[in-house]
Amino acid sequence: MEVTMTHYLVLAALLFLTGMTGFIVRRNAIVMLMCVELMLAATNIVFAVFARAHADGGGHVFILMNFAIAAAEAAIGLAILVEIYRRRRTVNVDDLKALME
Amino acid sequence: METFLFWFCGAAMVLGGLMTVVQRSAVVSAVWLIFAFVAAAGIFALLHAPFVAILQVLVYAGAIMVLFLFVIMMLQGPVLEGERRRMKPALWPAVAIPPLAVLVLVGTRIADHGTAAFTTPLPAGFGSPTHVAELLLGRYLLAFELISIALLVAIIGALAIGKEERKLPWK
Amino acid sequence: METHANETLLRWIVLAPLLGAAVIGLLNRRLPRRVAGLLACATVGLSFALSVVVFLRMLGLDPEHRRLTDILASWVAYGNLRIDIGFAMDQLSAVMALVVTGVGFLIHVYSLGYMAHDDGFRRFFAYLNLFIFSMMTLVLGENLVMLFVGWEGVGLCSYLLISFWFDGEANAVAGKKAFVVNRIGDFGFLLGMFLIGVTLLPHLAPGEGAFSFAVMQHHAPLLAPVATAIGLLLFLGATGKSAQIPLYIWLPDAMAGPTPVSALIHAATMVTAGVYMIARMNFLYVLTPTAMAVVAAVGAATAIFAGTIALAQNDIKKVLAYSTVSQLGYMMLACGVGAFAMGIFHVMTHAFFKALLFLASGSVIHAMSHEQDMRVMGGLRRKLPVTWWTFLVGTLAIAGVFPLAGFFSKDEILWKTWSSGNTVLWVIGFLAAGLTAFYMMRLVSLTFFGTNRASEEVRHHIHESPATMTVPLVILAVLSIVGGWVGIPAFMGGGAHFEHWLEPVFAGGHAAGTHGAAHAVHDTTMEWILAGASVAWGVLGLLLGWIVYTRRLAVAEAGRRFAGGLPYRILENKYYVDEAYDGAFIRPGYRLSRTVLWKGIDAGLIDGLLVNGSALAVAVVASVLRLFQNGMVRFYAWSITVGLTVFVLYLSFSG
Repeated sequence: MEVTMTHYLVLAALLFLTGMTGFIVRRNAIVMLMCVELMLAATNIVFAVFARAHADGGGHVFILMNFAIAAAEAAIGLAILVEIYRRRRTVNVDDLKALME
Repeated sequence: METFLFWFCGAAMVLGGLMTVVQRSAVVSAVWLIFAFVAAAGIFALLHAPFVAILQVLVYAGAIMVLFLFVIMMLQGPVLEGERRRMKPALWPAVAIPPLAVLVLVGTRIADHGTAAFTTPLPAGFGSPTHVAELLLGRYLLAFELISIALLVAIIGALAIGKEERKLPWK
Repeated sequence: METHANETLLRWIVLAPLLGAAVIGLLNRRLPRRVAGLLACATVGLSFALSVVVFLRMLGLDPEHRRLTDILASWVAYGNLRIDIGFAMDQLSAVMALVVTGVGFLIHVYSLGYMAHDDGFRRFFAYLNLFIFSMMTLVLGENLVMLFVGWEGVGLCSYLLISFWFDGEANAVAGKKAFVVNRIGDFGFLLGMFLIGVTLLPHLAPGEGAFSFAVMQHHAPLLAPVATAIGLLLFLGATGKSAQIPLYIWLPDAMAGPTPVSALIHAATMVTAGVYMIARMNFLYVLTPTAMAVVAAVGAATAIFAGTIALAQNDIKKVLAYSTVSQLGYMMLACGVGAFAMGIFHVMTHAFFKALLFLASGSVIHAMSHEQDMRVMGGLRRKLPVTWWTFLVGTLAIAGVFPLAGFFSKDEILWKTWSSGNTVLWVIGFLAAGLTAFYMMRLVSLTFFGTNRASEEVRHHIHESPATMTVPLVILAVLSIVGGWVGIPAFMGGGAHFEHWLEPVFAGGHAAGTHGAAHAVHDTTMEWILAGASVAWGVLGLLLGWIVYTRRLAVAEAGRRFAGGLPYRILENKYYVDEAYDGAFIRPGYRLSRTVLWKGIDAGLIDGLLVNGSALAVAVVASVLRLFQNGMVRFYAWSITVGLTVFVLYLSFSG
């Protein structure tokens, strides 16, 4: 069977749903961040697919933007986690309920 | 050949993703994630995005994941904590239904409308470093500059968060 | 349209005082007093110097091309509406610019002395500079909208400066009154401007600035059908700014501000803005005899009305204030009979002698330890020699004694009124001229002659003012003497230079307007007779005032008793106009506000239904939503997932 655009998009969807589900089921904040990275990777694939479809390199540029965002997000997220761990001695989000009023 | 590579990389990527999610140990999760990212690089290459593919390996699988592993090692002890309890079986449907619904939707749509192929012919050198660089420093220069500011802010923010509180310059 | 020469100096004339205002206002107490005062004077001085430079450059040009423009930027460009931020100077603006910056500079210098011990010294100069900036925007604005910007700017500065000593409630109330009354006038101005816009815009090519004076003049015939409406609406604005009946009531109260402010804003410059605007729009007014007649009638009525009130005031500044209202009436009268040049001529001479009178009265008040009641003054002419002599010059000038400045402008206005056939208006104006002489002499007699009636302590402190105050007085006195000589009329062998200078601006006015010019050539005897009569009449008024209030104070008392007290009381209470307005507009307004707007709409509808109602709705919704905020991050993530899924399903099934 020939590989079409649809194949790539379904692949990206699978990766995204995996990451999304992982974000819900996991309790370890570090792994949750990894799941976010998975979802971002899935978006990148969609960008690449449509760049290919329209023969427009703009998609590639925005993948690079996404890289930068992912890096920034990872840096900030991990810094927050380290700080939380210093104070609370845990990175289990179920134990972190300060958000509730 | 392309067909084979697609199935190979795609399967590897999805496998990597799933293993990332289901592994109990954060270290093992991280290694599987690197695996998935390298596979994704292959997908990028198949999509005529060689430059992005290389950056995916260098930046993502390399730099960002090293950062993750580094933090995991800093927090050694507790990384397994919390995963000892399984999720209550009663909640499984709640988690599973939304993604499954989307998958069913995608399936029915494909069954109804079939698949769409790539039709636009690509110019020579599409996705090469030269091509991307010309766009990045030409048409998208403003976005490029703005994202550099965002990165700068992230660096400063990470430093400010990570610093011991009493040493903050403004306190 | 004629071509205009470019002149980039214009922007600096306007912007220099703004710069001063910004620096002084922003740095405020960080700036030493001396520096703030000098900076304020220097920026206005610079404005004046640049005005002179541009004026000299204009003299070198052909009279038809004496219109210099300086466009800074495009402000509004929408459809075929175009409004520029720009300045223009023609003969009319040049006269105004020189008067405003020149007199403004002298008053700045005077204020250095007058305000020397005031806590708000820097704030005062920041406002004063801001005022000069606004006034120059008004005078040099290239289009009606720029003029309006300046118009509002001077209104704001007037408000700020009237209530400059805002810790006194009367001052704050006076400022508010000036502001509110001016708003009524501005409302008319705005409507007039809109009417010009809707009339002109459909006929203009894109890029033609509809409100540019040159464009409006060029397309004046298009405005003819609505000229009366526009003229009356704009005149409503002018009655507010230039204190004409029925909106003059704010000006006497505005005397609550510091005396230099009364001199600069409420006598010499700002209040003449209405006259300037009407002269500027002369091409429109000549199209509408009705509006012209209204302008003339209101002007004449104001002249005599305010003159009679001035007879019975005891506050030295109030007398001058009503005198200002009365003189503004003369200017309006001039515009109304088509003698725009004479109106502007009187603006100029009046700026000299009225600024002089106010500043000299400030010097008197300064010497009298801030006493303003003339009944406790008297005999000051030996103690304050400079003030006395300059005040006397001002008085003679305003009374129209030959050959002082006031004579030429006032006589010319009366002559143009006569020669345009408005005999009734001439009689009114003539009577008002006599009144002017009489009440001014009354003021001089009570203040400078006789014996001093103040308390021992005040009398002990009486002293002549410092040089920063007296030098401007002397300069203004010289100007009050020679200022009129630029306009010596033709029948006296003069060149009528002033009128000729302004001729290109008012070219349309002469064509359609008075037949006075034709008269003048044939019939100079009548002019001589009228001029002689007005001088004699003025001198008579002066003499009468002097005799009654210096020699025979008893006579004055007897006259007051003879008048039965009632007419006098009416005059003293300013015809009860304030009380009438209070009953007719203000109280009903209060009642409406209280019962309907406040209790009904604000408290009932807005507070009750909208404010409390929406708060209640939020509270109800929140009590449900609160269940969802349980602090579980993963629950939040799940919620997002569900929402996203529903959204995707909706999208795919709806489209």
